[in-house]
Amino acid sequence: MNEHPVTLHVMDDLRRSRLTVFFRFLLTIPHLIWLELWAVVVMIVFIPNWLVALIIGRPAKPFQRFNAAYLRYTTTVFSYLFLIANPFPGFTGEPGSYPIELSVPTTPEKQNRLKTFFRLFLVYPAIAVAGALLYVTYFVTFLAWWVALITGRMPRGFRDLGANAIRYIEQGYAYLFLVTGSYPCASPYVGMALGEPVIANVTPAVAAPAAAESTAAEAPEAPPEA
Amino acid sequence: MSKSSRRLLGLLVFGALAAAWLYAASRLWRTSVPGNLKLPKVDMSTLVGTSELHRAQHFSFILDLFGLAGILLPLVVLALYAKWGHRFMRESAAGPIGTGMLLAMLGIAILWMAMLPSNIAELWWLRRYGIEKTGYAGMIFGTWAALGAEFLGICLTILIVMGFARLMGNKWWLAGAPVFVAIGLLVTFIQPYTSGLQPLEDHTALVQAEHRLASKEGVAAVPLKVENVSGMTTAPNAEAMGLGPSRRIGLWNTILDGRFSEPELEVVVAHELAHHKHNDLWKGVGWYALFVFPIAYLIARVTRRRGGMAVPLAVPLFLFAWVGLSTAILPIDNAFSRRLEAEADWTALQATNNPQAAKALFVSFVRTTDENPNPPFWDPILFGNHPTEAQRIGMVEAWQARSGG
Repeated sequence: MNEHPVTLHVMDDLRRSRLTVFFRFLLTIPHLIWLELWAVVVMIVFIPNWLVALIIGRPAKPFQRFNAAYLRYTTTVFSYLFLIANPFPGFTGEPGSYPIELSVPTTPEKQNRLKTFFRLFLVYPAIAVAGALLYVTYFVTFLAWWVALITGRMPRGFRDLGANAIRYIEQGYAYLFLVTGSYPCASPYVGMALGEPVIANVTPAVAAPAAAESTAAEAPEAPPEA
Repeated sequence: MSKSSRRLLGLLVFGALAAAWLYAASRLWRTSVPGNLKLPKVDMSTLVGTSELHRAQHFSFILDLFGLAGILLPLVVLALYAKWGHRFMRESAAGPIGTGMLLAMLGIAILWMAMLPSNIAELWWLRRYGIEKTGYAGMIFGTWAALGAEFLGICLTILIVMGFARLMGNKWWLAGAPVFVAIGLLVTFIQPYTSGLQPLEDHTALVQAEHRLASKEGVAAVPLKVENVSGMTTAPNAEAMGLGPSRRIGLWNTILDGRFSEPELEVVVAHELAHHKHNDLWKGVGWYALFVFPIAYLIARVTRRRGGMAVPLAVPLFLFAWVGLSTAILPIDNAFSRRLEAEADWTALQATNNPQAAKALFVSFVRTTDENPNPPFWDPILFGNHPTEAQRIGMVEAWQARSGG
């Protein structure tokens, strides 16, 4: 039940640097601009990819890899912006490079042509939910900003709430961009793999990437920053 | 080729480059102001009044202290950051260039925090004299938001420097410096489009005067525009901006608020036209190009001790070296700027043929900006990108003496 091809792995240790928290939005601006440029290409790629998926029944492999990298990158940028993770992310969406990692299928899967044809309409309810979650995340980030600034730590509940919102949003993007045919799942039990599970009786659905696993093993929760 | 021959060749190349540099600098340094022009000593107290003069001296003295803090504090803060800034590398999961960007942004962020008390105190001083209108919260939020633009600029700089350093090693400056010059050129070109310039309305006489002055100066008329700054400041100003098709004259709306007479405004317009006539914006880019090469070279030399600019470890030192060298050339930069401004004043006098208006304008500048017309000798060296008002009035009198006026 808790499986989804697009899974978020949370390996964050909840430590936050007060300095980078204080300037977090401004520090993210270069990423947001890069993200916009990348998004333009993703939009351009969407049409040929959609046509390919309609004709051969699955997306083209290069487009799949490109979109997967974009989704991984947006995950790291949103995680950084919304204080869900501490380190400054890279610009390439490379797998295994960030404590909040999106596991995305890089091999195109067979998809229903009818659902592909109507994808833009089918995704609409998910986009509405994602929009609502985004507003919740803004509010939570505002509260978390103060807490992290004062204590040097991110409250686990805030972190997990934000991570869940991002997970849902990324699943929505993945569905929109034909990376997967699976509809985003609103349940927080689906598509989340926590380094240290915070929700009882939930085990990671998909094996975490090796790099992220080792990060989690070596970096248990650090004490608050002095 | 033997070692001594290589050394000789190196010296010859260096000598040729140094000679070319000096030649270019001397060409840019030259102005049309007569070299033998002697400026008479001007008694400013008779022109602006003793109490006004004391007020301006008091105001400028304290403002200079803030100016000194603005020069020294960044050097101290960035020196400390150069020593310890590398510790922030642990806050990055990015590659070398991304980490370099983070370190550079954090350096600037720390500098902003360190400068904040001084900036607040300076604002208090400017508000006390009615020069600034911006509120404290507005200033803090405004400068905080402006940090975003600075972050983008520094990220672009780091991308260029580290990108070339990873390709070319310590010779990155050879490729990096021309890119910075190209960016300088681009920024100068697009500035009129990014300054929020508005059309000049209800000043038909001034527009007509501009056309007349342009033809007198032998330059094509340049569009006159307005910059709405009256919500932030009462200080009057105008600027020539743009290159080629983007050339504009931007008049702050504070100079059009009735405090200056029409003939005074004509002097202002003639002065800005003169900047376009003498291609001063091109010269500014040329001057920048002259210094960006040696500065980039010196930075490349200095940062070698931290492994060179290919690694993020060198970025904090890069920031310090960059600001330090820019501060070191500040006196010569200001001297160059003063020469261009003096030449524009001279050309404006010739075009308007109205020394009374020019004198009245410069006296009004003292009254409306509370700037000390006769500052101590070190003030123009560090802060003076225009001649002092006393020097400008002295030039008017010297021009009058020459033209028999």
